[in-house]
Amino acid sequence: MKKVLEGSHAVSEAVRLARVQVMSAYPITPQTHIVEALSEYCSNGAMNARFLCVESEHSAMAAVIGAASGGVRTFTATSSQGLALMHELLHWASAARLPIVMAEVNRALAPGWNIWMDQTDSLAQRDTGWIQLYCEDGQEVFDTTLQAFRLAEKVSLPVMVVLDAFFLSHTFEPVDVPDQDIVDGFLPPFLPRFELNTDNPFAIGQMAAPTIYMEMRHSIQKAMERVPGELDQVEQEFAATFNRRYGPMEAIHCDDAEVIMVVTGTAASTCRKVISDLRAINEQVGMLKLRMFRPFPTDLIRQVLGSAHKIAVIDRNFSFGVSGIFAQEVRAALCNYKGHPSVFGYIAGLGGRDVTPETLEEIYWKTKSTDKPDAESIWIGLNPYSSFQSRSNS
Amino acid sequence: MERMKKQNGTEDIPLFISRSNITTEINKTGSWRFARPKYDEKTSPCSAACPAGEDIARIQMLANQESFKEAVHTILIENPFPAVCGRVCFHPCETACNRTGFDEPIAIRCLERFLGDFAIQESMKLPPEKLPENGKSVCIVGAGPAGLAAGYFLTRLGYSCHIFEASSEPGGILRWGIPEYRLPVKILAREIERIKDFGVKINCNVPMSQNFLKETKSRYDAFFIACGYSRSMQMNIPGDQAASDGLEFLRHMRREEITPLTGTAAVVGGGNTAVDIARSLVRLGLNPIIVYRRRKQDMPAFKHEVEMARKEGVKILELFAPIQIEKTGGACFLTLQQMKISGAETSGGRAVVVPDGRVTQLRRVDHVFTAIGAEPTEPWQFPPEQGPETLHLGHCTFAHRDRPLMFGGDLTNPIKSVTDAIASGKQAAMALDAFFKKGWDANADRLAPYRVGSGPALSMESYLKGEHTSRNRHIVSYEEINTDYFSTAARVLSASLAVDESVHSFLETEETYTFDQAVEETYRCFKCGICDSCNNCRIFCPEVAVVFKDSRRVIDLNYCKGCGICVVECPRNAMALEMEI
Repeated sequence: MKKVLEGSHAVSEAVRLARVQVMSAYPITPQTHIVEALSEYCSNGAMNARFLCVESEHSAMAAVIGAASGGVRTFTATSSQGLALMHELLHWASAARLPIVMAEVNRALAPGWNIWMDQTDSLAQRDTGWIQLYCEDGQEVFDTTLQAFRLAEKVSLPVMVVLDAFFLSHTFEPVDVPDQDIVDGFLPPFLPRFELNTDNPFAIGQMAAPTIYMEMRHSIQKAMERVPGELDQVEQEFAATFNRRYGPMEAIHCDDAEVIMVVTGTAASTCRKVISDLRAINEQVGMLKLRMFRPFPTDLIRQVLGSAHKIAVIDRNFSFGVSGIFAQEVRAALCNYKGHPSVFGYIAGLGGRDVTPETLEEIYWKTKSTDKPDAESIWIGLNPYSSFQSRSNS
Repeated sequence: MERMKKQNGTEDIPLFISRSNITTEINKTGSWRFARPKYDEKTSPCSAACPAGEDIARIQMLANQESFKEAVHTILIENPFPAVCGRVCFHPCETACNRTGFDEPIAIRCLERFLGDFAIQESMKLPPEKLPENGKSVCIVGAGPAGLAAGYFLTRLGYSCHIFEASSEPGGILRWGIPEYRLPVKILAREIERIKDFGVKINCNVPMSQNFLKETKSRYDAFFIACGYSRSMQMNIPGDQAASDGLEFLRHMRREEITPLTGTAAVVGGGNTAVDIARSLVRLGLNPIIVYRRRKQDMPAFKHEVEMARKEGVKILELFAPIQIEKTGGACFLTLQQMKISGAETSGGRAVVVPDGRVTQLRRVDHVFTAIGAEPTEPWQFPPEQGPETLHLGHCTFAHRDRPLMFGGDLTNPIKSVTDAIASGKQAAMALDAFFKKGWDANADRLAPYRVGSGPALSMESYLKGEHTSRNRHIVSYEEINTDYFSTAARVLSASLAVDESVHSFLETEETYTFDQAVEETYRCFKCGICDSCNNCRIFCPEVAVVFKDSRRVIDLNYCKGCGICVVECPRNAMALEMEI
């Protein structure tokens, strides 16, 4: 049934229908609406689940790690500073091979305090061993959340479902919310490959000597390598039931494109319009929407981007001292590819600043008119600091 | 470390993690211990403050679990009058309640009333546990709350009891001295009926005399004198014969034999009887004024009653004492002496007052009622002050003559309340039993193990079960409650009649809690010192050393390392940590 839902509630509805058994979270804007709804479902009986109230995100992650080790389906959600506080345990969750699903609402890190859209929080967790899926709209958020449980439980790795603060978390859109029995058909109960059991006690996660630690890390990577294939299978089954699929990425007009714009999250929607407008005036432009960031779809990136002349990566994040993080990853994927295109890194829309069609058009024309990028990162829409200083002095 | 079991069709996906082949059970962390936790239930302050020593925290817990019958039994073992006390008790338990330090005290009296009425509704009997009959019989003088309680508790201890009552029905002050709007006769009758069913024989219309006692002496092994204060004290001022006896007035009201009155009335006194008279007069359509020689705050009447009286339109004139009444025509002219506080206080904390010069006031009223106190009707009813074998226990006096002669109720109690009268009956029963079993000398000491908290209240439950079952007498303080586990919540108020309704009828002014209200209020209770199976000890134990054995929690000392987390996380101080060295 179609419902008009804000992005946050697309998450909470999916979690309800996924029959999650244990949840734990600490509220933080812009994640709050997700966990608010879920705690309500626990108290009013809409969900047969435990919601553990904790004093910090670190404890929230610890709580779901404990529950998942006990073999139940788990969920948490956070944002920004909260995700940063979880950092230590994010490593634990993946290396303990626990299929935890987390909604992460992209929000800027402080200081200065800023509650708006920015991707640096989730991208800073790229090395923690979590699968990361970036969503474009409310329906995709709902669908990805459901898929995330299947995927996580298949590969025994945690999944982060990432959505833009406010542009997605607080925006109402029509979302198709299926009945419980249909979801049950797609998502059977969690059958853990291992679980702590007091009747047959054993310990997990203990000492691993140098003689074995490397093999354990290798095993995580081997599982990560299986993700594209498993995601594809999950999506096939999902499409059979719901008639929708997204893939690890989506390429539009890339075959004959000279310039391909690489976008993520809600900016992809804006980019769809820009591409269509530019194609209408016969510009050879394409776009690549990146949905799966971890594992990074290197092979697909090479296939799609390899033949273009120029790539414009739009980063709503920044790794200080280097560049935008998506640009970095795209460059790394292409560097060993013979005759690879030039990669232009654009920094735009940090801390909730709008990325408008005009912003993307500016990026396109800039890329088209320049042979080689004149800097690692090109900051779009940057105002001189003096314009702020003069305001505060007056 | 080993590869994990394979289940859900993903067995070919590498999963290589560390996992032990054995459990950590080989690591007997109990060997690290030098302190040992234990379950150690303690006394709640409400129980310690209850003259009847009711196990209030447990009653609250049982009611919270909706085990109302068990909750009722837990009360009845200590007090056969929950429906009565739930209405008229001055609830020292609530004054002592630890929750006061947090928000507001628990409405313990309201829950007791709910449980009392529940027991009546369900026609519940008194708990059947009795000691075997011992062939001894006890004569009880007076069927007031003390006499009835003594009969009840002695019967439980295996004695056969005969109660002799001068008036036509049992109940004493409950039957004749408390107005219907505070205690309906039918409620009282049901609770007395239950005591009769338990085997206590009550003979009414038998006025007692010293001769009767002498004549019957050979028929009984002991006597319990609890005939109360049934004669009003006189003012001893000129014209005092124009004043009506307040207690007599209340007795008439209870007999529904009241002659219609109109106009204004002065009620002299500051105790509960004065307030009861004044509030009854309001209901009869009069305008009463209470005249009290001390200040309002010195009135011995319960604060709540005084407050209700004021709401219902009763005026209170403080610091005036009547010195003369002149009856002219239908009216009384009351000369009142202005009093002033002398600066001194009585032992009870009331101001000592002295006449303030010659200032007087003349007041015209239609009626004057006296309620300045009462006393026993006959000198033999007074307990002996001292004697070679006279023992003053907290709630009764034990005179060992040729037979045990005990005095109780208002005759001996420092606080003249219904619940203290019940406590008196219980203490007398236990003291008598101790005497018969262990002799005179053992008496005072023998009751000590059954004290609730620091006493004087005694626990019949532990007396019946034996010394070793007695609760730790430490009274849990507010500081010992782990308030992290509680959130503030407003006290649940029982419904009550609007004042403009209540002043026109003798219907009860307060209603009994509904089922939901009763349960809701018990959620507020800390259950100080009592294990309510919250399971915190087990949840927080880092070694999972709290295990269930025969569905009881026990500490597995093989693994308990004595960290004390369980003791700290117990919300209600039902555990303790002891040093082992």
